[in-house]
Amino acid sequence: MKKVTIILIFIAFVFCLPKVNAQLINWNTMGSTQHIINANVGLDYSVSYGIGYGYKPNTKLPIIMDANFSMPSGKTLFDDFKTKIGGQMLLLDISNFRGALALYGMYRRQETELVRLQNFGSDMKATFGYYKSKWFVAAEAGFDKAVVTHFKHSQAFREKVYADVADGWYEPATGGNFSYGLQTGYSFKKTDLTLALGKRISQDFKTAPFLPLYVNLGLNYRLSYH
Amino acid sequence: MKILKTSMAILCFGFFLLSCDKEKSITEPGNLVPKTVMEDPTIPSVNINGAKLHAQAFGPADSTLIVCLHGGPGANFRYMLNCKSLADKGYRVIFYDQRGSGLSQRFPGGWYKNQGAKAIEKTFYDDLKAILHHYKTHPNQKVVLLTQSWGSMLGTGYAGKYPDDIDGLILAEPGGLKWEDVLEYVGKTRSLGLWSETLNDAAYTDQFLTGKENQHEILDYKMAQLSAANTVVGDIKSTLGPNGIYYQSVRDGAVISSAMFEIGEKYKPDFSEQIARFQKKVLFFYSSNNKAYPDSWAQKIMLVYPNKDVFKVQGVGHSGMLDQIDTWTTVTEPKVLQYLNSL
Repeated sequence: MKKVTIILIFIAFVFCLPKVNAQLINWNTMGSTQHIINANVGLDYSVSYGIGYGYKPNTKLPIIMDANFSMPSGKTLFDDFKTKIGGQMLLLDISNFRGALALYGMYRRQETELVRLQNFGSDMKATFGYYKSKWFVAAEAGFDKAVVTHFKHSQAFREKVYADVADGWYEPATGGNFSYGLQTGYSFKKTDLTLALGKRISQDFKTAPFLPLYVNLGLNYRLSYH
Repeated sequence: MKILKTSMAILCFGFFLLSCDKEKSITEPGNLVPKTVMEDPTIPSVNINGAKLHAQAFGPADSTLIVCLHGGPGANFRYMLNCKSLADKGYRVIFYDQRGSGLSQRFPGGWYKNQGAKAIEKTFYDDLKAILHHYKTHPNQKVVLLTQSWGSMLGTGYAGKYPDDIDGLILAEPGGLKWEDVLEYVGKTRSLGLWSETLNDAAYTDQFLTGKENQHEILDYKMAQLSAANTVVGDIKSTLGPNGIYYQSVRDGAVISSAMFEIGEKYKPDFSEQIARFQKKVLFFYSSNNKAYPDSWAQKIMLVYPNKDVFKVQGVGHSGMLDQIDTWTTVTEPKVLQYLNSL
């Protein structure tokens, strides 16, 4: 039942929030912005490409809701991908110093010759930095949790590795990685060029992913209120 | 809005139905990885040096011992099972999964690292010595090590350290014997293209699965995915014929693999350090399809053996001279028998 609850919460999260993107934001250029379109490329567990859309409702507390889709490189299209839906909220605004919190629900999928994995997870990130109208620099720290994962193994896995492997939903949480790094950006006209880079470490703080660094180069295009 | 609510209700109901099966535990042995000898008492095993090792022996107990040393560290002996045919030729063939590997007992990473500079000796040489002691039925029984990859590095180190313990040494593509050669070879075998599906398969999984330092079930499962993905060394699926029934499901030992790599980085072992003490003839195989093992590399590695026969096996990769039954039967085994007869 625990998994059912998680999935229902995830669905509610996905459908109840207007859609936006996981892009890097220059909070100082958000004034009358209502829509943000984003494209990004980087190293995110693998070389990956993403697109996103962000929506900024007209609220007192600056909020950006966003949705993002990314796909790693490789010869097979759409066998692996990740979708993130959630929002970013500006919580601290003192002079040009800003602090924000981002929360996302995730669905991701990977298929290899041996197994197909489908996962529901969450991603949380806090940023704190110095924001000017033309540029910003901020520190970021986050936690990416794989909450529940479905495994479906291929015949090849059963023949080569383990015939009696058990397919199905697996708990408790099957993974989790912390990340920390820096983000920066340059803004001109309706465009932000952004760069984030940092390091990932597994939740035990002892082991690291196969590619322990992450890099994300993004381009935001802002559309304003009428 | 009505359509949205109806869609949501259908989706929720769908997920609810999909979710009715009981969730499985990722750390439960037998779910994603096979049980080891510690969890399944029906698996054949021997107890040595405080460890329970998965082991099987074939052939007449009193005849020459052929002890098979598998690759890794952290792999298993399944792919060497074609060598069982030597039992039909009158030899006593011994297979065992090294400590922390295959279906043998697992130990925490700290157990290996706490051995310090003696880790390789305590973990591998002492266990091999105990295996020989366990299976030898009389003092004059000849012993030959039949080894591949990491097993050949281990066999070389053992032959140099205890030259009187063994009468023959058969090697198949030891990656490197000096630590810097090991690093170079491993680097070549793992040179995955940045944009490749292989790299993606290996790396993308990290966001789905993370095992803590000693969560063997998760780490071993992830290692199995990585092992299966290495195409550089030219290996294809093992063909074991009827021998496959003796070891049906495999498991890698991720903790010992990473612990030994750390230990290697720290102490920079040289497995060929004492091999000059072993003056008996060595039989050295290498393959044509391992891109990381060209003729020049084979010649460099084999230099340290004072007395050797060298044979390049055509049409197979790193393990193919053993794990492809046709190649084993028609090419490798005749060479091995010729070598054994010469001892």
